[in-house]
Order: sequence, then C-alpha cells, then structure tokens
Amino acid sequence: MATDFWASSHYKRWIVDRGTLKESRSDDLQYVDDPEYLDFFAIFFANVITKLGKKLNFRQRVIATAIVFFRRFYIKNSYCETDPFIVIAACCYVAGKAEESPVHIKNMVAEARLFFSQQPYGVKYFPSDNSKLAEMEFYLVADLECDLTVFHPYRTLLSICKKESSNDLQTEAGEVGVGVDDGPRYWGSGDGQLELPDDAFQLAWSIVNDTYRSDLCLLYPPHLLAITALYLAVVLHGPTRELLQQQSHSVEATPVHSSPRRSSRQSSSTSLGHAKKPSQDFVAFFADLNISMPLVATIAQEIISLYTLWERYLEDSDLVDSARGTFYGHASAQTQSGGSHSGVSTPVESLDDAQKPHGATPTFLLQVLTRMRENKLSDMAHASSGRPVAVNKMLERTQAAG
Amino acid sequence: MHEEWSHTLLQSDPMRFYRAKRDRLHQAVTSKYTILGFISSGTYGRVYKAQSLEPDGQIHAIKKFKPDKEGDVVTYTGISQSAIREIALNREMSHENVVALKEVILEDKSIYMVFEYAEHDFLQVIHHYSQTLRIQIASQVLKSLIYQLLNGLVYLHSAHILHRDLKPANILITASGVVKIGDLGLARLIYQPLQPLFAGDKVVVTIWYRAPELLLGAKHYNKAVDCWAIGCVFAELASLRPIFKGDEAKLDSKKNVPFQRDQLLKIFEVLGTPTEKDWSGLKDMPEYQNMKRLDTYPNRLAEWCQTRIRSQQGYDLIRQLFAYDPDKRLTAKEALAHKWFQEDLRPTRNVFFPVSAHHLPPQRRITQDEAPSMMGMPAPTQAQTLSQVPLGHGQAQGQHLSQQSQLNLSQQSKPGSTASFGSVSGGAVGSFSGGQGGSARKKPRIG
Ligand SMILES: Nc1ncnc2c1ncn2[C@@H]1O[C@H](COP(=O)(O)OP(=O)(O)OP(=O)(O)O)[C@@H](O)[C@H]1O
Ligand SMILES: [Mg+2]
Repeated sequence: MATDFWASSHYKRWIVDRGTLKESRSDDLQYVDDPEYLDFFAIFFANVITKLGKKLNFRQRVIATAIVFFRRFYIKNSYCETDPFIVIAACCYVAGKAEESPVHIKNMVAEARLFFSQQPYGVKYFPSDNSKLAEMEFYLVADLECDLTVFHPYRTLLSICKKESSNDLQTEAGEVGVGVDDGPRYWGSGDGQLELPDDAFQLAWSIVNDTYRSDLCLLYPPHLLAITALYLAVVLHGPTRELLQQQSHSVEATPVHSSPRRSSRQSSSTSLGHAKKPSQDFVAFFADLNISMPLVATIAQEIISLYTLWERYLEDSDLVDSARGTFYGHASAQTQSGGSHSGVSTPVESLDDAQKPHGATPTFLLQVLTRMRENKLSDMAHASSGRPVAVNKMLERTQAAG
Repeated sequence: MHEEWSHTLLQSDPMRFYRAKRDRLHQAVTSKYTILGFISSGTYGRVYKAQSLEPDGQIHAIKKFKPDKEGDVVTYTGISQSAIREIALNREMSHENVVALKEVILEDKSIYMVFEYAEHDFLQVIHHYSQTLRIQIASQVLKSLIYQLLNGLVYLHSAHILHRDLKPANILITASGVVKIGDLGLARLIYQPLQPLFAGDKVVVTIWYRAPELLLGAKHYNKAVDCWAIGCVFAELASLRPIFKGDEAKLDSKKNVPFQRDQLLKIFEVLGTPTEKDWSGLKDMPEYQNMKRLDTYPNRLAEWCQTRIRSQQGYDLIRQLFAYDPDKRLTAKEALAHKWFQEDLRPTRNVFFPVSAHHLPPQRRITQDEAPSMMGMPAPTQAQTLSQVPLGHGQAQGQHLSQQSQLNLSQQSKPGSTASFGSVSGGAVGSFSGGQGGSARKKPRIG
C-alpha cells in the first residue's frame, strides 16, 4: 500500500545490507585503482543529477527519487559496463513521471545533451535520438523491477516538526514541504513534535539532501535518516545546542539565563535571538520516539564520514541546499548553514595542506571512469573472441610499454 | 592500440555491453505464457488471455500498452505517464478486492502487465442481466457487489490512492465471485501531490460517472469523486442502465474544457437542481453561472429507487453517495459501515452465491484473430550481437533493439494485420461490446 512503508516495495526489496552493496561493486573494484574513487562517484553523480534536476525545474523530492533510482540501478550494474550519463537522464526522466512531474522526452534529451556537453563533463556523444533514451528507460524500469514508489525522509521531517506546506520558510533553500501533508507515522510510538527554530530545521533538511550523496538511502529506512538529521541538527545548530546544554544542567542554568520577569513579549525579542524559548527537552524527545538510538548514532557516524570524504571532493559547486559547510566550516558558517549562504564554498583550501589527503575533482573522476570502461571493454572483447583475458591484458600492457 | 577503438565504441554505443547482458538474461513473454486469445482493446492497451507455462498453468490477463503517439505519427516517446502510474501503484498494492499484478515484462518497446485473471466484470454482468436473463440483479447479489467494491475502495483510499475511473468495465469479478477493482491507469497517489491534481489531467472520470464538482469545473477534488462514481455504479447495477447517461460536450479546438450541460441536466433530472443549502461551495464553482441558466428540477431520487432498489436502507445509502457537496458525501469507509449491509440478506464472499448455475454470467469471450499479433515479429536475439559483430567502427549501432523495432513499427502496423505490433490505431473492437459500448465509455483525455 502506497503509504504504508512496512508493506512497500521500498522496504521489502530495496533496503539492502553493506554486504550486498559491496558485492554489487565487485566488478568495478577490479577496474579501479583506489576503491575510494567509487565513493567519490557517489557524490559526483548525485551532484550531476541534482544539477540536471534543477535545470528541469524538478522539486527536491523528484531529484531525490532520481538519485534513488540511480543507486538502485547500480546495485545491479557496474559503472564499468554502463554509461552513467545515459542512466542519469533515464533516471530523471522516469522520476519525473513517477513523481507526477513529467518532462517531455524531447526536452529531456535536449536538456541532458546540453548540460552534459558542458564542462566539466564534456560528454559530446549523448544521443540526440529520443528512442535511445526511451530504450534506456525500458531497461532502467526493468532493472528497478518496476518499483517506482520511493519513500523519502522529508515527510518524516515535516511531520515531526509539524511544518506546514510553508511558503515563507523555504523559498531559497529548496523545497521544504511543498505540497506535503503530514500523514500518520508509520514508525515508532509517540507522535511527539519537535519544536525547532526554522534555521535548525533547515539544517536538518539540508543534511537529508546530503545523505543522497552516499548509499545511505539504500541502507536505512528514510524515517531513520530523517531522525538522524534532526539529531545532528540539534547538536550542530548553535542556539539549539546552547539550549541543549542548558537542559542538561537545567538546575543551575535556568536562573542564570532567564532575565528578571518582564512581559514575555519583550523577552522574546532579546533572548537567544530566536523566538520564544522552546522549553522542549530534546533528550526526552528522542528517547520517546522509540526507535533505536544506537542505530541513529551509527547513521550519524556514517553521515559524518560522508562529509569527511566530501571535504576532499573538489567541485566549485552552486548547490545551495547542502549542510556541508556546517560540518567543516568555522563557527561563523554554522548559524548560516542551509540557507542561501550555505557553506559549499567554505574553506576546503583553508585546511592545512599537509594534512589534506589527496582529493578528487570531476575531471579526474571522469578520467577514472573512462579508463575503467575502456579496460572493461577490452577485456570483454578479448573474452568474447575466446582468448584468455588475463594473458591478453598482460600482453597488451607489455606492448603498450614497448 | 585498443584505446582508440574502445574509445570510439564507448562513444558510438556506450551501453552496448549492458544491453547485451540484459537481452541475454531477458525472458520473453512468449517463453513464459501461451496467449489463448484477445479479450479487449481499451484506451491504453489491449488485453489478452494467457496461460502460464509454469506447471500450475494459471490463467492470466496480460495488458499490453499501446505506445504513445503524438498526432498521427508514432513517435516512441517512452513509457506513458498512465503506464508508469498503473505500474507504480500496482507494485505497491495487495488487497483481495484489487486486481493483483503478477509481473511486468518490458520487451521490444512494449509493456506487458500480467494480472490475475478475472472471468467477469460489472459491465458484462449488467449486460447479461439486461439482455440475456432480462431480470433484475437479486438484491443480495447487488449488495455483495457493492460491498466488495467499497471494501476495495476503502483500501485504495486509505493508501491515499484516487482511482478516478471507476465504472462497470473497470470493476472485475473472478470466477469464484470476488470483486476486483481494476484499471488503475488514471489512479493517482494524492498523499504528497507535488502539483495540484488539476494540473496533470484536465479531465478525469468517464462522463457518466463524473462527480458534479468535476462537471462544474472544480480545480481541487478528492476521494469523494470515487464515491460518486460508486453511487452511479450502484444505480446502474440496480437498474441495468446508466443512471446519468449524458452526452459529453467535446473539447473545443483550443482544448478548453467545455461546460457539460447535458450531463448535469441528466443528474438534475433525478437528484434535483442543487442549492446552496445542499452545497455551500456551489456558488464558488467555476461553472456556477452556466449552471444557473439551466432549468431547475425537483429531487426524484426516492421515486427512482422505489422500483429499482426496493430497500429503504439501500435508498439511504445511494442518497448519501449522491450528496452534491463532496464534503457531505459518504466516504468509502462510512459507506461500508452503512446499515444496508447489516440488514438481511447480508453480503456474501462469493457474490454469485445465491445465483443458480444457469443464471451465472458466461465466461469472458475471447477472439483468436488478434491473438497471434500480440508479439509482433520475432526480434533477433540480442545476445548474438556481441560475438557476431566485429567490434569497432560504426556498425555497433546498427543492430539493436530499437532500430529493429522501429522497422516493425513503420512497416507492419496496419490494424488487424497479423503483425500488428504497436498497432495504435484502435483496431479491433473487443469481443464484448456491451449494449452501451459507445464513445461515452471512453476516457476523455487531454494534456
Ligand atoms: N485481470 C483481468 N482479467 C480479465 N479481463 C480483464 C482484466 N483486466 C482487464 N480486463 C478486460 O480488459 C478491459 C480493458 O482493461 P483495462 O480497463 O485495464 O484497460 P484500459 O485500456 O484502461 O481500458 P479502458 O480505457 O477501456 O478503461 C476491461 O474492461 C476488461 O474487460
Ligand atoms: Mg478500463
């Protein structure tokens, strides 16, 4: 049933374990020098999809669905055997239809061709013929086993924070809650609400956006990703963190901070800079959700590792709705995160060069990909001509060297 | 050396290996099913009766989608929105009163959806009673049909799915007498609409079953449109003819949605002209001014029901399903809890339980003339291309699926020809064209 996550194709067929993911990369691993490049691919291609999606005026959820389709596709296929750009176009094309935001095939082809032909991609071969995309769509839908209904963390985020389909809040940072009504929860027990200042909520939203740059959407149910994002936002959002700290020493802290009794109206304009002080006990809130907190901690770790990796990924990006800056920017960047000022441009270069490990750029990753595919191709060709692959490979390398 | 040709190939046919692998693994429809015959041709596709080649030999209905076409030219534009919807929703659903999708096979530019087979449908039952038996449907049978229909609709609605095309032809019944809601081609998930419903499909629901808010041009509508349609189906089962059999006003050349004068009149003749007392939002309807110009009628529903439904509770149920105000209309859940279903004789799990054997509707007729054409011309096995075509140069592009099928499309798609793969021109009429077949049963679709 389309709104019951536990009965959904998403839950039943598309939450996989690490072992399965590793298995799915085994072919690629034979053709890549450093396994880490494959993690960079995850960031790189999610960025490509996000940017193409924006060109198509897709809403955040449509982009997220396209990325999930892409990830599911690569559970079953390898990069070295496919052309990710055609796959991306097909993912966007199908996601548009699956999310009731269809794009005409002609526009899809035109946009994709134009976008991919630009730097840094420089893909000149993207077919102008509609039928090529239509053909890929067919294979894609078959590989997706026709499971086209995808759940996302956004809904949980909204229902926990009870944000209405707000117009005021989000225009800049994307999509918060456009047309999303908060339905019944399909997880946990309580139906508690978390009161978060808008910018902390926006931070959580941006963290959710960022999770799509890894395989997290294949590993965990979306509501857990949402809760982890909220958890991280509470911890990382300056003013909210202060509150959290106050709560943990509430006995001493309360009298110090509360100003002598004035009218509540006045105090709201002075204190903390953020609205009426939410007197919410965050710790109790998370405990009441009745979900596994150790699991949330694990996911939080994985999100942090993603940001650590991403730090070494160099792309002058115009992605506005990422929380990336918050995780390795300076304190000053933190309060601004998520909004239009969000810190994608924040200081990778400010890192101490000595401790900065080697990173990756789109151009470099594309070279890696091409090399993988060419090597795979040559192996396949020799395999199909009946000659033993390994020998041939060696032979070729010798020839190339000589 | 190899860099050069591999580079060329990666550019000229970047998905070659993937395709080869996929085609090698593909199990053709004909390798899994025997096509027994052709059932029907609808707006979006043709439906065939088929038998599984697995040991159980189960019978299925295979719906083959027509390719989209633009104007008169078949341009292959990918999977239609309607097919995507039907597939996406069906993959998530599982309920006794919703037709089960067994699998989907994508092959040769065609989509085959394999459904559990249903021997009958409401339209056929109506036809059987009105033309062959010439008697009314027994009230217990009527009750069971509506009960199971509502039960399926409660499921859909609780999953936030609007069916939007409920009508007798789309409501199936298995040989064992279980109602199955079918044809989710217009259905939509309304849980998280990214666009107002109106933006996607300007016209929904076959005209005779279309709710007054839609006829009056409402931009926002909800589950209540399905409940209205159920009222219409209920009435049609009871009287064996459509209760509001209006003529549809066609779209004008600018594709503006016209005022559906005749259909509204047909409704008013039975239910009376709506007033603001019935429906507070009435005057805000876009077509309100047009509506006011129509003659006014009194409500005659009670009279209409007297001979046809013959139960006070039955009348009460239909009256509430026909509430003009969508907010006052009974929801599927409320309808299911209606007293009529608690009253004797109660609904039965096999809707035909009280029907004597010689009164049972006949099996679905199938025809043979269209059957062999389902698969079109056999396609060359794609697995071969890799080993046969020497690598390099341009010919890599030459052989594969899409071109091959393109050929089929352009050369062989005359309607009725044996190889009418991709025959889009309407072609054959279904074997069963119930007394009321006409164009009004077709879904008007634009946009
Ligand atoms: N599972 C099934 N078992 C038996 N017959 C079926 C089944 N599904 C559909 N049919 C028959 O095929 C007809 C058309 O199917 P369906 O309504 O799904 O297609 P459609 O193209 O959307 O048609 P339409 O536009 O006329 O509603 C049905 O009215 C019914 O007679
Ligand atoms: Mg139909």
